[in-house]
Amino acid sequence: MILFISGLAIVMIASSHSADKKVYETARLKNEVNEMRSAFIDGRSKLMQLKMESAVVGKMKEKGLSPSVIPPKKIKVKSQN
Amino acid sequence: MAVNEKGILNRLYFIAGCMFIFGVAVVFKLLSIQFLQGDKYRAMAQERIVKDVVIPANRGNVYSANGNLLATSVPKYDIRIDAITPTLKTFEKYLKPLSDSLSKYSGKSSSYYQKEIRKARANKNRYYLLARNIGYSDYIRIRNFPLLNLGAFKGGLIEEQTTKREHPMGGIAQRTIGYERFDEKGNVTRPGIDGAFGEKYLRGKPGKRKKQQIGKGQWKPLSDANEVEPKDGKDVYTTINVNIQDIAHHALLEQLEKYKADHGCVVVMETKTGEVKAIANLGRNSLGNYYERRNYAVWESHEPGSTFKLMALAAALEDKVIDTSDVVDTKKGRLTFYGKHVDDSNHKGYGKITVSKAFELSSNTGIVTAIDHAYKEKPSKFVDRLYDMSLNEKLGLPIIGESSPIIPDPRIKNKRWSGIALQWMAFGYGVSFTPLQTLTFYNAIANDGVMVKPQFLKEVKEFDRVVKPYKVEVINKQVCSKETVAKVQQLLKNVVEKKHGTGHRLYSENFSMAGKTGTCQKDYRDKEKLNYISSFAGYFPADNPKYSCIVVIHEPEKGIGYYGADVSGPVFKKIAQKIFTDTPIIDEVESLKVKRVSTEKEYESFYKIAQTYKTIMPNVVGLPAMDALVLLENMDVNVKVKLDGRGIIKEQSINKNVKLKNNQTIVLKAS
Repeated sequence: MILFISGLAIVMIASSHSADKKVYETARLKNEVNEMRSAFIDGRSKLMQLKMESAVVGKMKEKGLSPSVIPPKKIKVKSQN
Repeated sequence: MAVNEKGILNRLYFIAGCMFIFGVAVVFKLLSIQFLQGDKYRAMAQERIVKDVVIPANRGNVYSANGNLLATSVPKYDIRIDAITPTLKTFEKYLKPLSDSLSKYSGKSSSYYQKEIRKARANKNRYYLLARNIGYSDYIRIRNFPLLNLGAFKGGLIEEQTTKREHPMGGIAQRTIGYERFDEKGNVTRPGIDGAFGEKYLRGKPGKRKKQQIGKGQWKPLSDANEVEPKDGKDVYTTINVNIQDIAHHALLEQLEKYKADHGCVVVMETKTGEVKAIANLGRNSLGNYYERRNYAVWESHEPGSTFKLMALAAALEDKVIDTSDVVDTKKGRLTFYGKHVDDSNHKGYGKITVSKAFELSSNTGIVTAIDHAYKEKPSKFVDRLYDMSLNEKLGLPIIGESSPIIPDPRIKNKRWSGIALQWMAFGYGVSFTPLQTLTFYNAIANDGVMVKPQFLKEVKEFDRVVKPYKVEVINKQVCSKETVAKVQQLLKNVVEKKHGTGHRLYSENFSMAGKTGTCQKDYRDKEKLNYISSFAGYFPADNPKYSCIVVIHEPEKGIGYYGADVSGPVFKKIAQKIFTDTPIIDEVESLKVKRVSTEKEYESFYKIAQTYKTIMPNVVGLPAMDALVLLENMDVNVKVKLDGRGIIKEQSINKNVKLKNNQTIVLKAS
C-alpha cells in the first residue's frame, strides 16, 4: 500500500517536472519564433526597399540603363491547335 | 520569600501559569490568523505564486493590394549592460575591444564608450543603456560583441524585448498606413488606416490564463485551457499599389525639392472603383528634409483656385445657363466688383473668346464674367446646383481628420456670403475642399458622372478567409447629365491637347491625359505673406479613363516658379507615363498558323537543293547567307565555308555542279 502510494507520488512529481520543462521549452521556442519573425521582417523590409522601382532605377543609372518610355507589347494567340 | 517547599511550588505555579497564558496567546494568534484573517492571507499567498496572466493578441498586419507588408508588429530590442557583474579582470580585458566594436556600430568614438562604461562601473550602474529599439540583425551583431558574448552572468548582458509596429516600406505612405499609439494617460492617437481600423479589426482581443510561478521567472499554466482565449487581430488589405505609390512618392519629392515647396500631396485613384492606389503626403521639417508629415490629402482643406472652375462650369452647363460656345469678353484681363479686382494671370486678357477657350486658358475674367452673367440674379441657384453635385458633404472616410467642405450660401448667415462671393467662387475662392474631395469630383467626371467614394480597403482577412470585402460605394449616381459630362470631358482634354491650353506643356504623343491646372493664391490678405498653391487634377487616359489623380503643392518658392502646370503637372505626367509604360499593349492574333506563299516557296526550293546536292556544289547565289551556310555545312563532304558579308549571296568561289572534296574551302561573298 505504502509502496503503491509512493509510486504514485513519484509519477506525480515526475510529470509535474516534465510539465515545467515543457513551459521552459515553449518560452524558448517563443523567443526563437520572435527572433525568426524579426529576422524575416528585417530581410523583407530590406528587400522591399531594394526592389522598389526608384531604387532599381537609381542603381541602373550607373550602368546607363533607364526605364523604357514605351510599354511592352504582348502578343496573345487566341486559338492554338 | 522563604526558601521552603511552598515557596518553590508557588514559583513553579507562577511560571507554569505564565507559560500557559503564553501558550493560549500563541494558539489564539494561530487561530486568528487561520480563521479570522485567513481569507486575506490566503489570497495574498495565491497572488504571490498564482496570477492571472494576460495573453496579448497578435495585432493584424496591413498589406498592400498585391500582398506586400505595409505594417506589422515585430520584436525590437534594448541592450543594456550590468557594469558590475563582470570581474575586474574580464572587464579590463574586454573593455577596449567592446568599445571599439560599439564605436564601429554607432559612429561614436571608442574612447567615449570606454569612459562611459567605466563611469557606469564606478557608479555601480547595473543598467547602462547601450542601444535602444534595434532590429534583429543589429541585435545579433551587438550580442556577439566582446564581453557581451559572455552572456548575462559573466558579461553582464541585459536584453529586453518589446513589440513595436514596423513599416517595412519605410517612410513611404507612412501617414496613410498610420499607427495606433497609447500614451501614459491612456490617450490614443490613431492616424491612417492602422489607426482607423485598429479597434475594429487589427487589435484582436487579449486572452487570460491562470499561471503559477515555478522559478527562473517562468510561470506555468494551472489548467489545461485558457480561461479566455486570445483572439488575434485580423489582417487588413489596403488598395495601395506599392509600385504606383513608389512612383508617386518620388515624383512628388523631386518636385518639392526642385521648387523648395513647403508641403504637397498626391493621390491616385482608380476611376471605376474609387480605390486609392497611391497617396503620398510630404512636408518639410526644420532641416529642409521632406517626410510624411501629415495626411494633407485627407485633412487639409484649402481654396482650390482654378481647379474649381470645372465644378463651376459643370453647374452652369447643367443648369443650361451657359454653353461652351458662348462668347465672353475677358475685358483686358481685369474685372472689378465692389472695388475688388479679378485679374488674369497674363494681366492683359484674351479679348473676346468662347467659354470653352476661357476654361482651357484658365482665364479668370472669362469664367467669372460667364458665371456672374448667368447667376447674379439668383446666386442661390448656383449654390443649390453645387449641393446637387454632392460637393457640400464630407466623403465619410475611415481615416480620421477629414475637414468639411466650405461653400458660401446666401441663405445661411455665417459671414461667408458677400456681394462678391458668387464671382469669387467662380474661380475657386471662398470655397474650400480637401485634395481628396476635389479628386472625388474629377473622378466622377472621368467616371461619366458616377461619383464613387474613395476606398482605402480592399478586404479584411482572417488567415485566408475574407471577413469583410469592401465594394464600390456610390455617393451620387449622376452628378450631372451625360451631355454635361461629355462637354467638360472635352474641355479637360483640350487643356492638355490644345496648343493654347494651360496644360499643353505636359502633352505627350504617346499617351493621352486630361486635367485642369490650378494656381491659387494663399494668404493673399497680407501681401508680404502671399504664397501659392499649385495643383493639377485630372485623369488618364483621356478616353476611357483608368485612373484619376490630383497633385497639390503648397508654397513653392516664387522665384523658381509657381504655376500649376510647372510645379504639379510634372508629377501627374510622371505617374500617368509610368502607368502607361507598365501596362502592356496586347495584340491578339487568331492563330499561329500563318501561311505566306513566298515563305512556303522559299522553303520548298531550299529543301529541294538540300535533298539533291550532297557532294556537288549547288548554286547558292541569290540565297540568304544563313541558308547557304546551312546547305553547305550539311553536305556529305566536309567543306570549310568562308563568308564575306551577311545578306544575300552574290558570288561563290566554286561553280555550280563542281564535285566537292573533303576539307575544301568555299568562299562566299554576300551583300
